[in-house]
Amino acid sequence: MTRITGGLIDRSQTLNFTFDGKRYAGHPGDTLASALLANGVRLMGRSFKYHRPRGVVAAGSEEPNALVTVGSGARATPNTRATVVELFDGLQATSQNRWPSLAVDALGVNDLLSPFFAAGFYYKTFMWPKSFWEKLYEPIIRRAAGLGKLPMQADPDAYDKGYLHCDLLVIGGGAAGLAAALTAARAGAQVVLADEDFRLGGRLLAESHALDDAPPTDWLAGVTAELRSLPNLRILTRTTVFGAYDHGIYGAVEHVSDHLAEPGGRVRQTLWRITAKRSLLAAGAIERHIPFANNDRPGVMLAGAMRAYANRWAVTPQARDGDRVAIFANNDDGHRTALDLMARGVPIFGVIDPREDAPRLGECQLFAGGQVTGTQGRLGLSSIRIAHQGRNDWYECAALGVSGGWNPNLHLAAHHRGRPVWDDALQAFVPGPDGPPGLCAIGAAAGQGTTAAALASGAKGAQDALRDLGIAASLPDLPVAEDHSAPPAPIWHVPGPGRAWVDFQNDVTVKDIALAHRENMRSVEHMKRWTTLGMATDQGKTANVTALAVMAELTGQSIPQTGTTVFRPPYTPVAISALSGGDPGTHFKPTRLTPTHHWAAERGAVFIESGQWMRAQYYPRPGETHWRQSVDREAQAVRAGVGICDVTTLGKIDVQGGDAAAFLDRLYANTMSTLKVGRVRYGLMLREDGFVYDDGTCARLAQDHFVVTTTTANAGLVYRNMEFARQGLWPDLDVQIISTTDAWAQIAVAGPKSRALLERVVDDADLSNEAFPFMACDTLTVCGGLRARLFRISFSGELAYELAVPARYGAALMDRLMAKGADLGVVPYGLEALNVLRIEKGHCTAAEVNGQTTAQMLGLGRMVSQKKDALGVVLSRREGLVGERRALVGLMPADPATPLVGGAHLFTAGAAQKTETDQGWITSVCYSPHLNSHIGLGFLENGADRLGEEITAANPLAGTDVTVRVVSPHFLDPEGGRLRD
Amino acid sequence: MTDLIPTTAFGTTTARTATHGALSMAEDVTTALASVALRRGADVPVPLGLPLPGPGGWAGADGAMAVCMGPDQWLILGADGAGGDFAADIAAAAPDCSVTEQTDGWVILDIRSKDDADGAPMAELLTRLVNLDPATLAPGRATRSQTGHLGIIALRLAPDRLLLLGLRSAAESLWQHLDGTLRRLAVPR
Repeated sequence: MTRITGGLIDRSQTLNFTFDGKRYAGHPGDTLASALLANGVRLMGRSFKYHRPRGVVAAGSEEPNALVTVGSGARATPNTRATVVELFDGLQATSQNRWPSLAVDALGVNDLLSPFFAAGFYYKTFMWPKSFWEKLYEPIIRRAAGLGKLPMQADPDAYDKGYLHCDLLVIGGGAAGLAAALTAARAGAQVVLADEDFRLGGRLLAESHALDDAPPTDWLAGVTAELRSLPNLRILTRTTVFGAYDHGIYGAVEHVSDHLAEPGGRVRQTLWRITAKRSLLAAGAIERHIPFANNDRPGVMLAGAMRAYANRWAVTPQARDGDRVAIFANNDDGHRTALDLMARGVPIFGVIDPREDAPRLGECQLFAGGQVTGTQGRLGLSSIRIAHQGRNDWYECAALGVSGGWNPNLHLAAHHRGRPVWDDALQAFVPGPDGPPGLCAIGAAAGQGTTAAALASGAKGAQDALRDLGIAASLPDLPVAEDHSAPPAPIWHVPGPGRAWVDFQNDVTVKDIALAHRENMRSVEHMKRWTTLGMATDQGKTANVTALAVMAELTGQSIPQTGTTVFRPPYTPVAISALSGGDPGTHFKPTRLTPTHHWAAERGAVFIESGQWMRAQYYPRPGETHWRQSVDREAQAVRAGVGICDVTTLGKIDVQGGDAAAFLDRLYANTMSTLKVGRVRYGLMLREDGFVYDDGTCARLAQDHFVVTTTTANAGLVYRNMEFARQGLWPDLDVQIISTTDAWAQIAVAGPKSRALLERVVDDADLSNEAFPFMACDTLTVCGGLRARLFRISFSGELAYELAVPARYGAALMDRLMAKGADLGVVPYGLEALNVLRIEKGHCTAAEVNGQTTAQMLGLGRMVSQKKDALGVVLSRREGLVGERRALVGLMPADPATPLVGGAHLFTAGAAQKTETDQGWITSVCYSPHLNSHIGLGFLENGADRLGEEITAANPLAGTDVTVRVVSPHFLDPEGGRLRD
Repeated sequence: MTDLIPTTAFGTTTARTATHGALSMAEDVTTALASVALRRGADVPVPLGLPLPGPGGWAGADGAMAVCMGPDQWLILGADGAGGDFAADIAAAAPDCSVTEQTDGWVILDIRSKDDADGAPMAELLTRLVNLDPATLAPGRATRSQTGHLGIIALRLAPDRLLLLGLRSAAESLWQHLDGTLRRLAVPR
């Protein structure tokens, strides 16, 4: 055990957990990393590429090495940083990327082969043969160089999404963030304070400095209590703000129950979308290391992390008490770790500081002007080599803290392509001025890293941000705090033989960067892709700036000239489950149900998606074993007797007003103003570019009142276009529109016996051909006084009607029609039969009106009125469209039993099949039980003049050609007698 | 009077309800809806004695309410009017307007919070449902918005009461979204 006294852990409780199956114990307040260290476990993972043994490097979310899988079964979460896993009783963690075990990893052989695996190795080696990449190379590489594995089971937990709106978002709850939140909340502003840790305080929790001569936890307790009492401030702990998006919107993930053994019904994580008028980035700073040969052994860690483990978690980094610890630092802050550890009784071997004038800050050996040049220890550090005053000697050392200075944690401030700015005095990048609008950095994130500066800049930052919003805030009394600022010496790596790791997670060394440079990868973005530095789950948080400095050295440029790579969300990995939110499965995408959906379901209907809608596709009967049997029967029943079908999904738009008719004349290519009250007209709408947009019917219920119907797919789009036209194009017209699609259940009643059936449900209405002819409409009552609308329109080509009643009566009306029509042989029919009927009749649907076809192609050219203008009409007369020679035709296979394929391309018989000779395509196909043949509709070059010709329908995907005969698209009743009688 | 038996937006004959913790939700199957849009040059009517509200507001009381839906357009809610021809009644009361029946265009869900003096559960619910500044849906306010990828009309009737109108055809998806949200909120964090 290396647990020492003190720390912010609750020793009154013991939490049991396992790592790779072995049992350990820790305390509330521990992270998995601190608890493992407390149990003497230093080896926590294997590196990505070379499978090098690795231990924890950091104490926060920047950790590159200690990636473990937490949980088991479906809850197993790979690539979790042990440094941010809050310990709980029963936690199970397993190491990754090793076989058979962490201590004995067969793929460690990769490390011996490292000369072959240099940067760019994959790009050079696996170039050919090309076909090998997907099936051979990639699977092998993925297996050898992997991180954790997904459980491949559905996530069992609940997630949710939420939205917060505030005046000020404070990102980070350390000294600066707390001072800012306090200032803003006291001023009455709406404030959200988010911190990724489970405890507020940030770096204050890790330092031993006094605030007002008291431990920092005293001040923290007072501030936290006050903040929690303020109703205008919302504290989100365990919450990572991972991205800055447009308009002051920030994405954040709150880990609600990740720290519990069982969520117990709680959501596991909440995805917050926070809209903030102003925001302050108080994300602190990340310490950088100094690459030297073999600097990646377990036991080598950042000095600040070492200090945090000692002060906050009462853990020292050696495996055994009494082992010696050393510090390698190019700045005064690194020395603090030695001082804090000594104060806690940890034996400090010495401080190695490359600065010749390094100050002696404590009573331990100082190697001023010295450097660490190597390490030893198979699975953990046992000795270090120190170059000092001309000697290069090995010294026993169980743990080494490294500090190369601190990088402001400016990730979020560099979203929106914000470019960090180099601060020569600080020897670090600080947030630039062109980051997300409304966001300012404070505290260490802005280079104000001393505790006193962080507190002051936080309070001032909040005051300034609120002033922008017109909210006056006064500065709080802040505690007296340490204020020793000492920038690091510009020492970025220790030159010499051996591999010196820059990016631990991606196994990128100084040599790799040099190789990239030799390969002419001299742009920093190229270097990143070539070496993979800064990629993967940690995004190079501990590596990037050091790599830039190494690259600058190689190129002879300054660090700012070298530049930085682009920062993008997310700051830390975000689970897909969190992004998907609380409605997984069926309702992830909303569906719409027709008023007769449950009625149809009770009758065994098979449903099919149609846009957002679920529509009855067909109604199988006992004994029917193939869908075609059901569909053939339904289609035949309609043509022989009567069928009913829910067509509610077709869009219905109520158009009223003194100028309603004029408005519709401008929307439809044909004329609607001449339509008589009580009549319906088929209408065609064009796109602005002249192609056909949508078709449907327009019924005139009164002089100033129309009901427009649209196709199911275009209901929303047509409504949107109409609203745009009403508000934007012709605001002078007196027109009011509103959708009524859902309000009315609309049932098609089709077939020669449809009139007989309807006469049994309407109240006192004359439905005779004379009184209610084809294309008539009326408002009336049915079934004893229920208000209804009746339209005599036909998609099937039969005598047919559509009857609309308030939606809540839709199912009951279906029942009534079935009961009243039993002796007429009435059947419900689905979308599939409806399609058969309309193809037989040559009626168009979305397959023909696909945005690429003209009225002329559809055989509806004469509907485009020459007497008036309407949307799209002028462009429909342009040369390219007028010259279009393809026209809608019917197609029948030479062998009636040969199915046609929608999308097949049409060619003159015997012609070569290539783009230049392509003569059209098949749009719709079905089997016609009335013609006892497969049939299709399609567009064919000069189609109207080629009736009777045999051509080829080619399906190059399946390599099949079908000989088809060109016929009229109106397979049945081309004169239309059936629908008019 | 027709003998056809109406069904709810969920295909049943009784209104659907759910309670999770402090929040409960019930389908309102009796309120009727009609849209009123002002025609050119017409005076703003006062249907059923309702003063028609401006943007972002609703007016009236439990018996009849009006919600602003856009420029010169309102949705009128009539309690217990779903059985009759409410649109005809409104048309008679607003003769210079375009009136359209909307009753069955929407599913109406009445969400209430109990033991809720300060509206905290309702406020928390709103953070999960709509991306709106809380002031936009303070008591007395109403707006169009969206939740769970579905368009809605939301009326904050009281600190502890929220009325949501969603597409009737999407009632099941809306319900699943709301029910799941209420269920998750009912578990203490």
